[in-house]
Formats: sequence, C-alpha cells, structure tokens
Amino acid sequence: MHFELTELTDAELALRADVRDFLAAELPRGSFSPGLGMMGAKDPEFSKKLGQRGWLGMAIPTRYGGHGRSAVDRLVVTEELLRWGAPVAHHWVADRQSGPVIARFGTEELKQRFLPPICAGELSFSIGMSEPGSGSDLASLTTRAVRDGDGWLVTGHKIWTSFAHVNDWLILLCRTTPVEESGDKRAGLSQLLVDLRSPGVVVTPIPFIDGTADFAEVVLDEVFVPDDQVLGEIGAGWTQNTSELVFERGGPDRWLSTYLVVEEFLRQHERGGDVWPSEIEGLLGRATASYWVFHHLTLSVARAVDRGEEQSIEASLLKEMGTRFEQDILEAVLALVDDELLVPGDTLLGDLLATATLTAPAFTIRGGTLEVLRSVVAKGLRPREVAT
Amino acid sequence: MSPTREFGADPLVAETVGRLLRSVCTPDVVEHSDGAGWCAAVWDPLAEAGFPWISVPEAAGGSGGSLADALEVVWSVGHHAAPVPVAETAVLGGWLAAAVGWDVDGRVLTVVPRAESLTLEDGHVWGRAVVPWARRADSVLAVIDTADGWLVAGARPEQIQIERRANMAGEPRDVVTFDVPLADLLVAPAPDGIDGGALEARGCLTRTVMTAGALNAIAQLTVAYAHERRQFGKPIATFQAVQQHLVTVAQADVRASMAARVAIRAAARDPQTRFEIAAAKVVVDQAAVEAARASHQVHGALGLAREYQLQQHTRRLYSWRNEFGSARRWSRALGRDVAEAGADELFPGITR
Repeated sequence: MHFELTELTDAELALRADVRDFLAAELPRGSFSPGLGMMGAKDPEFSKKLGQRGWLGMAIPTRYGGHGRSAVDRLVVTEELLRWGAPVAHHWVADRQSGPVIARFGTEELKQRFLPPICAGELSFSIGMSEPGSGSDLASLTTRAVRDGDGWLVTGHKIWTSFAHVNDWLILLCRTTPVEESGDKRAGLSQLLVDLRSPGVVVTPIPFIDGTADFAEVVLDEVFVPDDQVLGEIGAGWTQNTSELVFERGGPDRWLSTYLVVEEFLRQHERGGDVWPSEIEGLLGRATASYWVFHHLTLSVARAVDRGEEQSIEASLLKEMGTRFEQDILEAVLALVDDELLVPGDTLLGDLLATATLTAPAFTIRGGTLEVLRSVVAKGLRPREVAT
Repeated sequence: MSPTREFGADPLVAETVGRLLRSVCTPDVVEHSDGAGWCAAVWDPLAEAGFPWISVPEAAGGSGGSLADALEVVWSVGHHAAPVPVAETAVLGGWLAAAVGWDVDGRVLTVVPRAESLTLEDGHVWGRAVVPWARRADSVLAVIDTADGWLVAGARPEQIQIERRANMAGEPRDVVTFDVPLADLLVAPAPDGIDGGALEARGCLTRTVMTAGALNAIAQLTVAYAHERRQFGKPIATFQAVQQHLVTVAQADVRASMAARVAIRAAARDPQTRFEIAAAKVVVDQAAVEAARASHQVHGALGLAREYQLQQHTRRLYSWRNEFGSARRWSRALGRDVAEAGADELFPGITR
C-alpha cells in the first residue's frame, strides 16, 4: 500500500478554474437547491451540458466519444461539482464506474454503442449488485442467468438500486454458473448490461428515511439479455466487479457528502458578525485540515490509477475513513447548533443539516460497509521490516 | 517510507541517515538515554556525518543541503525515536544563527519555542520557558519582539538558569529562566521573515514531521506484532476485532505521512507558508492519538513494558503534541484564517 505525493499540474489547475467559472455562471448560488455531494438532484439537461463541455467520460478514449484525459482530470471536475452541490445524479454512476468498466472490459461493439452517449451525459446507469439476501456477502447473490438461444434469461431480485425507476441501464452482477458447478461462489458470476425498460423488469421505488424515493428494488422475471450485452467474460464477473469498486470507492464523493454543511455553517456565521467563538474556530480548523488531507490522498489514488496501478486496498482504506469523517464533521457542526431543525427549514443550512442528519447513516453503508472495507484493508496489511 | 524523496530532497540523505540510525539507535540505546540527558551513542555518529547541521549553509559552519534534506533527517529521528536535538540544532537554532550571520561550527543549539515567553524591558531580558535540550546546548537562541523590530538573541548556558526537567519520553525539556541584560547576550536584528510566528511554525513543522515518522514506526511495529502474536491457536491479526485496530493504525499512518509530506513540500518552496504547516499539525495530531490508542490495544500489556519499544514511540507522540503549539492552538489559528477568508474561499483553500 502506498500513497505517493503528487500535485496538480498547471493544466489541471486551469481545468479547475474553468469548472468553477462554469458552475458560478450556470448554477449561481441561490438559484438552485444544492444536494449533499453525490446526492445532488437528477437533471439530464445539466448532465448534457457537462458532456458538451467534455467533463464526462474524461478518461475514456476519444474514439468512443470520451476525452482521452485522466482520472486526475475527472477528480478535479468531480470535486468541484460535489462541493457546489450540483445536480449530478443523472450521470453520476455512468461517469464514475459504468463508463470506465465498459471501456475496460466491453467488446468493441459495446464500447461503440454505450460510451458515446455516456460521455454526452445522455445515458444513465444503475448498479445491480445488492440483493435482499446478499449485502456485504455479495458473492452469495442468487440472481441467475440461464442460456436461451443467443442470449440469457435473467431471473432475480436486486435492491438498493438508486434511480432504477428513472435510469436507462443496469449493470447486473448475476450468477451464470451454479455454485455446485463452479465450485467457488466467486466463480461463475458475470456482468450483464440490462435495459431497465426490458419486458420482465419491474422497478419499485423504496421510500427512504428522508422522504425521498430515489432508491428502488428491481425484480427480474425471465428478462432476455442478448449475448452482445454481456460485459467482459462470462464467469469473470467477480474480478470485473472488484475493479469497478475502485472507481466507486476511491473518489471525493466519499468525503464530501457533508462539505456543504460546513461551508454553509461558515457562511451563516459570516453574516452574523465578526466574533468567532473559539469552538467555531477550532471546528473550522479541524474540518479544513481533514478536507485538505483527504484531497491529497484522493489525488494520489487518481494519479496511481492513471499510472495503471492497482488501487483497491487504497480506495477501500480511503472510503472507510472518508465516510466516517463525513459523519463526524456533521456531528461536530450539529454540536454547535442550538436551533431545532424544522422541515422545511428557515435557511439553507437548516435544510442541509436535516437532510444530512437523516441520510448520514447511509454514508458508511453504501458502496461497501465499514466492516467489509476494514476486512479488505486488513488483508492488504502485511508485516514489513520494522525499521526502514 | 521516505517523506521527501519524491520532490527533490537528496535521496542519499534519507538512505544514509536511516542506515546510521538503524545501527546506532537501537531500542536499548534509546531506553538507556531515558532521563540521562544526553545520548552520545547516537549524537556522536550523527555529528561526525554532519547531520545536526544539515540545511545550515556551509558559509555559516553548517553542512549545507536543503530544508527538505533536513526534514528528511528529522523524520528519521522521529522514526527511530532518536534522543538527540537534531531538529533544534539544524532546523531551528541553525536557521536563526545562519540568518544573522553567526557561525554554528559544530555547536549544539536550541531555541526558546515561543517569543511571548521573553520580555525586553529597559534593556533587560526576562522570562521563563520550557526549552528542549537546554542543559546541553552551547547556545540557546531566541527571537525577541522589541519596539524597533525583532531581534535574534543567543545566550550561553552560564547566562541563564536551567532547571532540569523532561518530557514524558524522558527527553530533556528544561525550564529556563532569563534574567539578563540584553547587552550581555549575542544580539542581531532579525532579517525579514524571522519572527516569533515564523519560529513557532518552523518548530511545529519539525514536531509534525517527527511525529509522522514515529507514527510510521508504530504502524509497522503493530502490524508485525499482530502477525506474530498467537492466541486461540492463530495470529491475532486474523481476528476481525483486531483487524479493525490495524486498519485504524494504517489509516492514521497514511494521513500523517501525506500531511507531513505536503507540508514539507510547501515549506521547502515557501518558508513563509503557514496553511500547510497548520493543517498538517492538526491532521498528524489526531492521527497520532488514534494510532497510539489502537497500537497499544493490539499489543496488550506488552506495549506498556519498558523492555518493548512501542512505548518509546508512543511516549514521544504524547510529548511532542504540545511542543511548538498544541493542535488546539493551531486548529484555531487555521480556523481563524479560514473564517476571515470567508465561505467562498473555503474549498479553494482546501484544494490550493
């Protein structure tokens, strides 16, 4: 495990300035309701504008509509989008992980078909991993695909599938070889691209703790998936899925979820006057220092990804502590707030605090629980010589 | 891990000082130095190689090299729990001396950490301060705020009263009393960039880097121990409850190491930088506390025994926390700057 020191180049800094300018012009503060990190609203028109700017599918080759840029470039763009609370939900999963895994494992035909609309911000994707009986023990999943002519018939039940009721596609992890035959539950799994509007797909939103219904469950009943929508190798689903998780876990969305709470808290106190109690100064100092080091660690992971290095342990280590930090910093702000939180609130800060309070438990569950991540990291910690 | 290798510090420095300390600064030597006040077994070979005067220009009697080189050595001092005033001599005292043109010439130097400790009144300097390694210093340097600007002053041991005390790691932290006419001290006007704030920031940077080095040693020690120690018939590293502690230690190491390296890079480029030093201090302090706690839990009672080296590192972490400013003071200073810059500048500051 290694986090190499790196920094942004002049070109990357210029990109950051461009994104800041764009957001200030396109979404001036006060003109929209900012979301908490990747929980920003779904706005296909905004996603298309990002696509037109070349800020989606940045690391995807140009011949597939991408921009042949880098994971670091994407990090710069996503950090700015998240801290602004921009409406990123429509393209978020497609840009973060579906596009990159299709680019990595897909056939030429799949790449030609899916990557250009992903890079344009037109296609939205959901993640088809969790099942009612398979959460942290993902490999125990029971959704199965059986051969049927020149394709597969999929039957099963996926859950916690964000935006499945309004998204276009699902990357489904399912069993194509029974465990009795594959011998190992991690073998015999495959990834299929499923059109969420296929016959046999029934999507039901799941009302969530904060009153939203962005989560859904997806029941698949003999859904036909043609062979040309198989992603990568049949039977290689577990390995492919693991590499997908690096994209899912190693980014700034895992430490910026409550950033706007801190910024808005600061803004409100700015208006209040010029006296800064020591407890507020301390909080701002600690928050700033933590965000600063998470930024540098995330940048280090992105740079390593660009060098082609395996980063699954690093990404898991980062997500585990980043998501705990998102909760801790929220609690630290709440500890300095005396007002009752009403819904709707009187201020943006009040609204953000209420939403964050209700959804914070999800930070350390979605995308891999703390417990699973710790287990992944611990396996990567090997004794070294004590003195270096 | 070498903290500065990636941005231009001479890789030979890290390699050489690491090899030297590995051979001379063994846990036994560190243990014997505890409370003894001086550790010639470590200082002498370091001095022979010139490390205590690294980054002090050769023209001032130093060993030359960059600040990044010096902080590489300081990181190693932390990593090996080396009981020697290298940070004080090279990065702090040597820096002040060279800035006003004094020759360091093989001297052991230390500094009064906070300028507020000393007052100049009617030509007389008085005050009390905790000064690291004062009893062995050939010269105790201080910066003094005066109506005519900042002064750098140097006191010989016989000009001050030194009460021998120690930090929790048994390293000399003497209570020094100044009650001396300014005219009796070696005095020079401080050049631009040298004042109380700059000295404290630089001192804070040395403690932050030393702590990151110690924390890295703790992480290695703890992971290794968890794989060796067997209970219930298997290594304790195989138990999930223990793994959680190992992950905590590894994360603390990763955060501290990154924070220290970014701060070193920033200071090497701009000696006036405050933001990165303050941020690194706050990150490393929190990481140190988490790592010390989790590593002691993994080690069980053995970690508390003087015969085992974990406590050599954790006692240093606990002690260094409040030297050259506590995390509380530094986080408030950072928070004040952030508040003054305003909400719109918060994210640009974080990602600067």
